[in-house]
Parts: sequence; structure tokens; C-alpha cells
Amino acid sequence: MLKGFTIILLKELKELMRDPKILVGMIVLPLIMFPVLGLVMGYAVQSAQTEAQTATLLVTNNDGGNWSKVFVGYLNRTLKIVLIENVSPQVVLDQGLLAKNNSTTLVEVPSGFSQNLTVHIDGTWNVIGLVNVYGVFSGGGGIFSGMSGNTVATVVGGFNRAVAPDLVQISQSSIIKGQIEYGVDSIALSGLLLSQAIALPITIMIMLTYAMQIAATSVAMEKEEKTLETLLTVPVDRFAILMGKVSSTIIVAGVAAVTVLIGYNYMIGSISTGLTSSLGSGVNLVALGLVPNVLGYILLGVSLFFTLLSALALAVVMSAFSENVRGAQALVGYVYPLIFIPSLALVYLDVNTLPLVLKAVFYAIPYSHPILASKAVVTGDYATVLFGIIYVALFTVIIMYIASRLFATEKILTAKFRFGKSKAKENSE
Amino acid sequence: MSLAVDALSLIKQFGQIRALDGVSFNIKPGEIYGLIGPNGAGKTTCLRIICTLIKPTSGSIRIFDNDVVKQPEKTRQIISYLPEESGVYQNLTGMEYLEFMAKLQRKPNTNIKVTTNEAADICGLGSRLSDRTKTYSKGMKRRLLVARALMTQPKLAVLDEPASGLDIIHAYHIREIIKRYVKEHGLTVLLSSHNMLEVEYLCDRVSLINKGKLILEGKPKVLKAEYKCENLEEVFMKVVGYA
Repeated sequence: MLKGFTIILLKELKELMRDPKILVGMIVLPLIMFPVLGLVMGYAVQSAQTEAQTATLLVTNNDGGNWSKVFVGYLNRTLKIVLIENVSPQVVLDQGLLAKNNSTTLVEVPSGFSQNLTVHIDGTWNVIGLVNVYGVFSGGGGIFSGMSGNTVATVVGGFNRAVAPDLVQISQSSIIKGQIEYGVDSIALSGLLLSQAIALPITIMIMLTYAMQIAATSVAMEKEEKTLETLLTVPVDRFAILMGKVSSTIIVAGVAAVTVLIGYNYMIGSISTGLTSSLGSGVNLVALGLVPNVLGYILLGVSLFFTLLSALALAVVMSAFSENVRGAQALVGYVYPLIFIPSLALVYLDVNTLPLVLKAVFYAIPYSHPILASKAVVTGDYATVLFGIIYVALFTVIIMYIASRLFATEKILTAKFRFGKSKAKENSE
Repeated sequence: MSLAVDALSLIKQFGQIRALDGVSFNIKPGEIYGLIGPNGAGKTTCLRIICTLIKPTSGSIRIFDNDVVKQPEKTRQIISYLPEESGVYQNLTGMEYLEFMAKLQRKPNTNIKVTTNEAADICGLGSRLSDRTKTYSKGMKRRLLVARALMTQPKLAVLDEPASGLDIIHAYHIREIIKRYVKEHGLTVLLSSHNMLEVEYLCDRVSLINKGKLILEGKPKVLKAEYKCENLEEVFMKVVGYA
């Protein structure tokens, strides 16, 4: 073994383990964060399964023949259905029957269904019974939101195994913003748009943590390089010093927000191309209203900007409590779970399906809002986006006020975040 | 004529520790005044109060008739502070640093170029002012910082251990800068040091501080004569009872 290796290794380990910031940041926080994420995901899976099992299926029988009754009977044995007779899908939509029956999936047994099944069983295999399934596309769902739609396919598969192979097939369509989009598979659409649901939170997560690390060094560097004391004695308003530091990060935040939007817009374009190729021509995300419009992009940009600003301001304040850059970066690390948990959890969850307490927790975390906004601008839910912008702006104002108070007093020099060690000894010299 | 510094019964408490315990002294305009004492005596705390960085727990302090606690902005307009452990922005050149500080400390009807040229003369770093400060030695940085503290010709320059930790050549250069420049321009200087020989060389009057208390004040020559010592170091040891 290398001479001295063990001695140096043990000394390094001793130093690292005695640094409470490292101990908490690298060991305790992950031990808390991942179980919390696990609980959130577990809840998401459970609620999706429950939803799939208890979801009401609206079935409209426009055939009336024997086979249609057999088929509907089979559905009824497995799923919770509400049956209506001789009502076209458009009328179902116009009369709001889906919402009235608390259902998100409509199954239409079209006219001619029974006759086709009879022909098929008589030996003409190329004639099949087609069932039209219309899934309501909400846009706010998480990774498990397609479960109830898949359940219909599973039950139809069971029917075919019981009667004849390939007897009944499904034609998928979507109901997007109250309009029937024929031939657009709502499950495939959810799956493809999931890349959007994953990409933006991950990008925001990386951007926020990276920006906070940079901002945290702004005051800490002044302390570490011993330039802060000099700066605080020049005849300049201390709020100007703070604003100078924060403004530089505002510019960075603005550029970062625009960069993310450009990348996001490009990604949406790529998804649209992918969707066209997988779902057939004529499917256009813009036409389907599943791409944010100009107002949506502006609101998303503003939401991103304020979130970045609040994170950067918080990093500046936190760095004032540390003695050096390393300490500042360790301190802002404590905020990371508040970025990681909503970023990862909101991929798996639709916040609207959460219990009130969990919902309140996610809304209270400022870093949830751009992710919520990214989903809301697609569905045109601008109220949620505006609420988030106002909330994060207020949070930023409070943080800035604390920062200005900190800069106005000697606390900027004497305030230290420490674990149980007296600060008095170090201050007196 | 108003006093440059008028400190009365300054007390500063940090938790259970009393860093300053009723310190009173005054400095006349144009004087070089030294606060001397061992590490942890309270010198830096006193200077930080004068420079508006921290507030005294009790007592009063006036700089050219400005109340430091009540009028910190006015005080900052007439002082310049060189902390003991002071750094420069590593990615700026020496000249850029001087320009940055000159703009922040700018007085009405002053020219930034004239001010920075003045600083260049004071520090004597010549063409190295075009280099980034991260390439400077400790002595060069300190010379730059002393030049920064003096270039705006403040009414009161507060210098905390101006030549601390420097080799003989750089320490000598800095002492010469202070002595020459201050006398030429009639500035008032308050400096602290634990190097009693340095203080003896530079200062018109000195105060001896120990454990937060001001224990002796006077002209170096008078103090040495009074305590029959060859230098201030011996005076201090006698006063605190170690000799």
C-alpha cells in the first residue's frame, strides 16, 4: 500500500465527518429526501390504481344488437359503467354527460357492431367489431395518469380471449378542451407529452441549483477574499451594494429563463414531429391546443424569472451567514430538497388529485410554481400561473427585505450560521 | 477646531465577552495616532466601530463632529478604512480595482483619473497595475490597498495593522508611504498595530490597549522617558506587569 495513504485517508475522513454541514448535506438530507419522494411516488401509484379501479366508464350503445348487449354486459362485470342508449359521442359531449357521471372515458358501441361480430364468427375474419374509446386529455396528469384508459384495452382483450381472437378492436380518440380529436390516442398523447413533463422540471432543477451555487458565492466571496469590510465603509448606500449583487443575478436569471424557454419551445416542436409520425399525419399539437400560446410562454417566462430571482435572493441572504464560499455552498444545499422534491414529485403526480394538506405543501414551496405553470399554460389554466407568480413575487420581496435589513446592520459581518459553537469569541478581537 | 476623533467610554459586548471596556481617547486633526496592544486586545473592534461597521454597546464616538452611530453615511464620506485582513478582487487588474474603488469613494469635483494616478504614485507598482491582482504577491496587494486607502485624501484614514505579515522591504515601503503622504497632505491617521517599533516610528501619539481597556496614552518619547524604557515594547510590558 502507498506509504502514508491510510494516515491521510483517516485524517480526511475525520475532518469530513466532523464538518456538520457535510454530514447534514450529504448524509442526513438524502436520508430524508428519498423516503419523502418514495412516499409521494407510492401515493401516486396507489391513487392511480384506485382511480382506475373505481373510475366510472360511460358507455353509449348505438347498436342495440345482441352482441353489443353481450359486450356491454362483459364490461359491466369488470368495470363500473353507466350505460346510455342511442346517444352519439358529440351529443354526450354537448350535454356534458361525462362530467355529470364523473367519468373521463367514453366507450361507444357503434351501429353495426353486432352484425360485424356475427359475420366475423361466421368465418369472415377480416370483419371485426370496432369500439370507439374517447379519453379526456387533462394535460395535468402525471406518469400514471393513463391507467384508466389502459383498463378498457385490458377488458376488451379479455372479451376477445373469451369469445374469439381479434373479434373486437379499439379505435382511440381524444377529447381535448371539449373537442373530439378523432384518431388521436389519448394514452399515446399522454405518453409523448410526458417527456415534456419530465424535461422541464429537470431543467429547472438543474438551473436553480446551479444558479444558487453561483449566487451563494457573491457575498461569501467578498467575505473570503476580505473585500466586504472595505466595501461596507465606502460612502455608498448598502442597499445599493445588495441591489448591485442581486441585479447581476437578475440579469443572469433573465437570460437563463429565456434560454430555457427557447430550448423548451424547440423540444415541443420535436415532440410535435414525433407525435405526427407515431399517430399519423394531420395531428398537430398547435391545432390540438397543446402548445402554450404567446401569453402562455410569457407567463411561463415570468414564473421562471421570479422563481429564479427568489432562489438567487435567498442564496445571497444565506451566503451572508457563512464565512467562506464552501460554507455558503453547503448552506444553500439545505434548500435543495425544496427544489428536488417538487421537481421530481410533480412528474409523477397531478397536484390537483392530492389531499389538501399535500397540495398546500406543494403550493407553499416557491420552486413548485414554474413546474405547475408549465402544465397549466398547456391547458390554459392561467389563474394557477398568475397565483404562482404573485406568490413567488411576494416571497422574493420578503427575502429581499430580510437581505436589506441584514446589509444595513453589523449582522452582515457578525451573523454566522453555526452548530452550537459560540460566535462571541470570534467576533471579539 | 473640532477633534478628528472623539471617543468617549466606548463599550462593546459580544455575548459574554466585553471586547471594549470604557475606552476614551481623542485625536487632533493632522495627527498620526496609534492604538497598540496584543492580539485580542480590542484594537480592531475599536476601529470597526469608528468605521461604522459595528455599533458600540454604549458610549459615543464622533469623527470631525459627525456622530458615527447616528450619522454613518456622513462619516463614511470622510473616512477611509484599511482592514487588517483585506483583499482585492482577484479578477480585476490593479488599475481596475483602483478605478472601481475611486468611483465608489468619489467626492464632488474630483477626477477619477487624477485619483487613480495618485494611487499609482503611492503604491509604486508601475506597469504591474495592468496585471490581474491574483498575480500579485502579498506585499504588492498590501501596497495597492494602502494606496487605495489614501488616494482620495480622506480626512481620517483608519489603518489596521498596515504592514502586518510583510517582509522588511514591503513593510518599510508602506511605512514610508504613510509617513510621507500623510504629512504632505495633512491627513489624520488612526492606525493599530501590535508592532510597537512600527508605531513608535510612525505615530505622534499612542494608546496602549489591553483586554479591552485603554491603559496608557501619550507621545512615544514621553512614555519612554516616564517609564525609563528604550522602546514602547518595554513600556507596555512594564505597564501590564510582565516586566
